[in-house]
Amino acid sequence: MESIMNLMDGFGSALSPMNLLWVIVGCLLGTAVGVLPGLGSSMAVALLLPMTFALDPTGAFIMFAGVYFGGLFGDSTMAILMNTPGQASAIASTFEGHRMAKAGRAPQALATAAIGAFIGGMIGSIVVVFLAPALADFSANFGPQEFFALALFAFVATSSVVADSILKGLCSLIIGLGIAVVGIDQTSGAERFSFGVPQLFDGISLVTVTVAILALGEVFHIASRVRRDPTNRVIQAKGRPFLSGREFREALPAWLRGTGIGLPFGVIPAGGADVPTFVAYGLERQLDRRRRKPQFGKGAIRGLAAPEAAGNATTGTAMGALLSLGLPISATAAIMLAAFEQYGLQPGPLMFDRSPDLVWALLASFFIAMIVLLILNLPFAPLWAKLLAIPRPYLYAGITVFCGMGVYATSGSTFDLLMLLGIGLLGFALRRFGVPLAPLMIGMVLGPLFETSMRDALASSNQSYGVFVDGPIPVAIYTLLALSLVISIVGRVRSTARKDT
Amino acid sequence: MSQSQPTAPSHPVGDAGPATARGWWHGRSGLFLAAFMAAFSTYLLVGVLTMAVPDGADAPGPQFVPLIIAVAGYILAALLAVHYIRTPEPAVTPTFTAEDDATDEERRAAEAAATVQYRTFSDWYAVGWSVAGFLAFALLLNVLGWILGAALLFWCVAHGIGSRRHLFDASLGLLLSSFIYLAFDVGLGLSLPSGLLGGVF
Repeated sequence: MESIMNLMDGFGSALSPMNLLWVIVGCLLGTAVGVLPGLGSSMAVALLLPMTFALDPTGAFIMFAGVYFGGLFGDSTMAILMNTPGQASAIASTFEGHRMAKAGRAPQALATAAIGAFIGGMIGSIVVVFLAPALADFSANFGPQEFFALALFAFVATSSVVADSILKGLCSLIIGLGIAVVGIDQTSGAERFSFGVPQLFDGISLVTVTVAILALGEVFHIASRVRRDPTNRVIQAKGRPFLSGREFREALPAWLRGTGIGLPFGVIPAGGADVPTFVAYGLERQLDRRRRKPQFGKGAIRGLAAPEAAGNATTGTAMGALLSLGLPISATAAIMLAAFEQYGLQPGPLMFDRSPDLVWALLASFFIAMIVLLILNLPFAPLWAKLLAIPRPYLYAGITVFCGMGVYATSGSTFDLLMLLGIGLLGFALRRFGVPLAPLMIGMVLGPLFETSMRDALASSNQSYGVFVDGPIPVAIYTLLALSLVISIVGRVRSTARKDT
Repeated sequence: MSQSQPTAPSHPVGDAGPATARGWWHGRSGLFLAAFMAAFSTYLLVGVLTMAVPDGADAPGPQFVPLIIAVAGYILAALLAVHYIRTPEPAVTPTFTAEDDATDEERRAAEAAATVQYRTFSDWYAVGWSVAGFLAFALLLNVLGWILGAALLFWCVAHGIGSRRHLFDASLGLLLSSFIYLAFDVGLGLSLPSGLLGGVF
């Protein structure tokens, strides 16, 4: 019950006029960027990262929450209307969602997605409120070997379990880890990889890398293809933007099942919402085949409802894992972690004790963001699609200007702008060759934790490598890791075997 | 991440042809990735070998983890090189899948466009203008100031991506950069350079 009291305090802080304004601004920005073609929620958060430094931490994170969830809503709007998912987590929604829209049920599809995202996000946030403090207590006595195991889990899971090609996933991870070791070593004070360049003594700024990889590199990638790839047409959503009672009853079990699938994935570092959305979609398809009149392939409402709910449920609990363990499970969560570190805050077990005001206001703002987004998206989703009227050259030119502004405003140096350009070109090359970017972000953000916990564990045990499997928690984490590797391999074999529909 | 697009071509139209007919390097540009990994690992390795480690650093010292990363990077570079030499990328032409929402007319137009053979997969004209614009922006920002510099960047990227309304683009760029200056420098207090125009106002 203590959680509820804390949450009420959080609402008191989050509902102050200024913070309410930041939630709404965040929701608007996130939805807008999510809707724009080729741009997903992680780009929204990356572009916003530098700009939040002008705000106080509470306002900044409340706005982040709005952007994060708003991006997910916007991604699914475009997945349904245009068949272009802004983010991998929206791919599962395109299958049945776009078919619904083609069958003239676009408004109902948008409503199904918005309500599903709302239900998933709400339940996810409720779970976080009750679970996160317990998780923080549990992890409060984690030592270096536990954190080492967690970081290793995140690395292996994001680069191998989720990525299409394990080779490319590992490349991305290694680049991220390599970027993280540049700069003065915190344990020994040795100057590393700066070769006398003073700008590198503090390492390569997380802001610069984030903006370069997720925003500038993305713009270069789009520029390289925008005049050559055919563009999909947008389906106009006309008609009643709500669900009939029958449709609602049809979708309700799928929403709940999707939420149930999505919740646990938020604490498993398996790359975020991509996996659960596909699992939820697959389950609904299996169930559908047993019904008397299978709906899949013709725009099944359940095939859209389940992945939408799963995606947002995962996103909700992922914030819980980030706050209580300091463990980011997706690129977007990694950026949030970077943002916390920029403010000198360390998410993890101590966060709930040291800055309870911020944590609870942030958790309360999740609920507010969900309600605001439901209002913004349920009746107005077709209006958001009007953003597509912006000519492509101006859209991407504007984003490039924002990239430059963000990095210059935080660093004030030409050196960082050139670094941004260089890493942006690297990001372009990675996108061009289909290398996933999430392992790079997670490697860079968790790299320091990985290294210090490894060295601390070895130093405290006199170089005995047995320390890494000392204790039940590391062993449990490694078992879970082995298990998820097996499941992903089985899943891959199965998915190649059932490419029949 | 969003690297996987669901629109895989169901029936490629442009004839990819055997790789040998189009030069050995065709479809093997991914070797750049292998070269990059090798270069990056070399950078780390040189750094590890020349690092001045302060006395009394606890083992494993500051060189331990970077060395592991460098070795892993070399192994991955070799594996990538083998991968791209043995299986070059097929020439993928953009086509509609049966799933896509397109009329027959649109489909035909797209398929006709897809048979145009570009020499490279990427549109280097667009990328070149964007990169050059950003380089100019980075180097000239402190001289030109934010408003002119950002407008220049905007114009270059818009031009690269295919806008041909030069004067309109320039004024739109100035409008955007001035708006950002007002909102973020004057409004939120971020510091953007005023440059040339600083003396005027």
